[in-house]
Amino acid sequence: MKQIDLNNLFPKKTADFNEDEIFDIAVIGAGVVGCGIFKEFCENGAKTVLIEKENDILEGASKGNSAILHTGFDAPPDSLELDCVKRGYAEYIKIKEKLNLPFLNTKALVVAWSDEQVEKLDAILKKGLNNGVKELELIDNKEVLKREPNLSSEAKAAILVHGESLIDPWNSPLAYVKLGLQAGGKLAFSHEVKDGHFNGDCWEIKTSQKTIKAKTVINAAGLYGDIVDSIKGSKDFKIIPRKGQFIIFDKSAYELINSIILPVPTKITKGVVITKTAFGNILVGPTAEDQESRTSSITKAETLKQLQQKAYELLPSLKNHDIVATFAGLRPASDKNHYRVKINDDKNWITVGGIRSTGLTSSLGLAKYVFELNARKYKKPKVKSSPIYIQNISEFKERDYKSSDYKKIICHCECVTQREIENALTSEVGAGTIGGLKRRTRVTMGRCQGFNCQAAISNICEKSKS
Amino acid sequence: MNKIQIAIVGAGPAGLSLAIELSNMGYEDIVVFDREDEAGGTPRHCGHLGFGIFEFYRLLSGPDYAKKLVSIAKDKNIDIKLTHTLVDIEKNTLVFSTNDGIQKYVAKKTVLALGARETPRPPRFISGIRSPNIITTGALQRFIYMHDTAPFKNAVIIGSEVVSFSALMSAKHAGIKIKALIEEEKNINSFSILKPLSELFLRIPVKVGYEIKSINGENKQVQSVTISKDGIDETIECDGVIFSGKFTPESSVLKKSFKDFNYVNNSVFVSSAFQTTNKNFFAVGNVLRGALTAFKCYFEGKKLAKYIDDSLKHEKLRPLHVKIACDDTIQWYYPSMVDLNYPSKTLTTLRVKKKTIGKIIVSVNNIDVYEKQINAKTYTNIKIPRGNYPVSKNDTIKIRLEN
Repeated sequence: MKQIDLNNLFPKKTADFNEDEIFDIAVIGAGVVGCGIFKEFCENGAKTVLIEKENDILEGASKGNSAILHTGFDAPPDSLELDCVKRGYAEYIKIKEKLNLPFLNTKALVVAWSDEQVEKLDAILKKGLNNGVKELELIDNKEVLKREPNLSSEAKAAILVHGESLIDPWNSPLAYVKLGLQAGGKLAFSHEVKDGHFNGDCWEIKTSQKTIKAKTVINAAGLYGDIVDSIKGSKDFKIIPRKGQFIIFDKSAYELINSIILPVPTKITKGVVITKTAFGNILVGPTAEDQESRTSSITKAETLKQLQQKAYELLPSLKNHDIVATFAGLRPASDKNHYRVKINDDKNWITVGGIRSTGLTSSLGLAKYVFELNARKYKKPKVKSSPIYIQNISEFKERDYKSSDYKKIICHCECVTQREIENALTSEVGAGTIGGLKRRTRVTMGRCQGFNCQAAISNICEKSKS
Repeated sequence: MNKIQIAIVGAGPAGLSLAIELSNMGYEDIVVFDREDEAGGTPRHCGHLGFGIFEFYRLLSGPDYAKKLVSIAKDKNIDIKLTHTLVDIEKNTLVFSTNDGIQKYVAKKTVLALGARETPRPPRFISGIRSPNIITTGALQRFIYMHDTAPFKNAVIIGSEVVSFSALMSAKHAGIKIKALIEEEKNINSFSILKPLSELFLRIPVKVGYEIKSINGENKQVQSVTISKDGIDETIECDGVIFSGKFTPESSVLKKSFKDFNYVNNSVFVSSAFQTTNKNFFAVGNVLRGALTAFKCYFEGKKLAKYIDDSLKHEKLRPLHVKIACDDTIQWYYPSMVDLNYPSKTLTTLRVKKKTIGKIIVSVNNIDVYEKQINAKTYTNIKIPRGNYPVSKNDTIKIRLEN
């Protein structure tokens, strides 16, 4: 019987450029922030390479988040974060149609569950308005339950945030990378940055595969941001990975809520978010646990039980629905509670670090900010006009299984078709890891977790490898 | 919209035996739907022996048993539509996703024979890493028997139901070494003889009463499992973990479309005549309650044919049921409704969630009408007789467990 290595189903990607090529910009890290920056610089004519140590995009912090497009109503006032969140939000709205990206304006409710929390709502409202988020309303218990009849009647009052929305956290960054490629960018996956040398004009970045030359480096290395940053010679910040554990409920629970249910932050507890996802599930989480390790995203039974308990308290009928997945994500928090963006002009180095939780929303705005910070002009490229193909896997746009000629459905829980899987494997920026395939298609992410399809999918990958 | 007389969703043992029996009775307008590209259901990937004795008087392997059922159905010209995935039920309309686009069917009688699946790792809340090397028995058997591949070399099996020992045999067949079989309860969850048999003849440690503390590893590669008993930890090196058993009905689509859903069984309510709360819908086989053996499903399917025949011949026969409620100390029970049209000797058959010494009490309108002493394991089928007490349409029947 043939042995199959489930952790090694994809060929290692190589880069299609020579070592003597000199780039204008090298972006280190293909998380959502790196992908956004790559797109921005490519589209503005900079000769750009995106360097990533893993074999696919979104393998670090960006693989696990709550998939919400935020308005910035609760962002720190007058901060770079607030600016970038607002710009990023607007930019996403602008490009979503063209890229077939989903956007579901569910709105959010910041729900107060105690009198102590009710008292805080005014301040949250004021902060939101000051942040320039105009569409906010204070609503009473009756209105909360009218909007959310399944929520526990303990809900005292809430702030309704009109703009908060759901997006696909995985296929949107993929779209950004594809836009960058279309504008002439280059990719270097499985190129782990080891060291670098600046000769006063150009960086020579040593990676696990080839040495890459670039005039300016943009460090978007997320969880490894401080390590990569030390290459430039000085250490400005320290990454303190913050783990967040999540629970995902089955699609049968989808109708239980209409909006994103946010907690009122208090000093004692951060509370838990209950939200729908773009894929038709209910997500509960995250926790916030600081840790040393940049890789360990283990889940803890005790914590998950607490999360589950909390979710049942707030939304009792959730008890009747299956839990389909549990996972933990690591956020690249730093030793200060804000974005760590800084330009070292004399060294042609820009640090984009500590993007600890709003990166999915802010990435496109952050990219524009970084481009302005760089303050260099490039000759605008001629972009090929061929449309970019992004497979929709969200439930509120037309899915492939509702069309025809898709061959057959391979993953029954998530209704993933053979055509979707083949596209994800063979199209430009194809899946480079099993996680990457899951993020592009949702295979094995449903209630049976591969009982029915894992063997078939592993064998499809194994075959397409050779 | 396609109109047919009888639609059966699921081409496993229950669905196929029903179709065959209906065909024997002279029905022709039957369509069996299945989402897979091959009919036969779960036995297709149970590569070991143990099937067919009661149905065909021969000892068969799962795949041979599935083939046998399919070939009988084909000989009878039963229309089996494969790669039809049921994605919705709109009132009485079945909505399938197919390669030819969405297809809708309305049948005079629809039978849901959707089967069951195992409970994977996430809802069990086991600490540790995520890894593709953490799989279910179903996935393991598909790797081995349908793709001729072994997904790892040394594994630990979690659970001790019959299917766990089936996982053990499958692993052995693929040359995968089983380092231990681990059960959190104090006793194994199936015939106690399996423990000494596995230990003596296969030299596989069967560890009962252990807590599974964590699955350890790096870069998505499982390296070991830590278990614990009486405060002492033990770490077993392995590169794969198999979560076995805890079967649950494949009922997600029903949860959306049936107003009355039985959350104890994670399925629809059914009467002893397999009738659901929708008069045109029946349910049969493991979708009722998680997994029982294939022959049990086969004979249920066969039995259901009579009731379908009745309901088609006597259009005026209106279903009359009374729901039975159980608390969640019960693993599953079926039937979950008393059928007032069809007197039955049994009220229901149930299993308990935890090993229980105590009594089972049945009440009608909060008056106890029946009680029975039990000493039940989690795999004991407890039959509760119907008794002579009167039950009518608006009564409330409850079953509770007292220790």
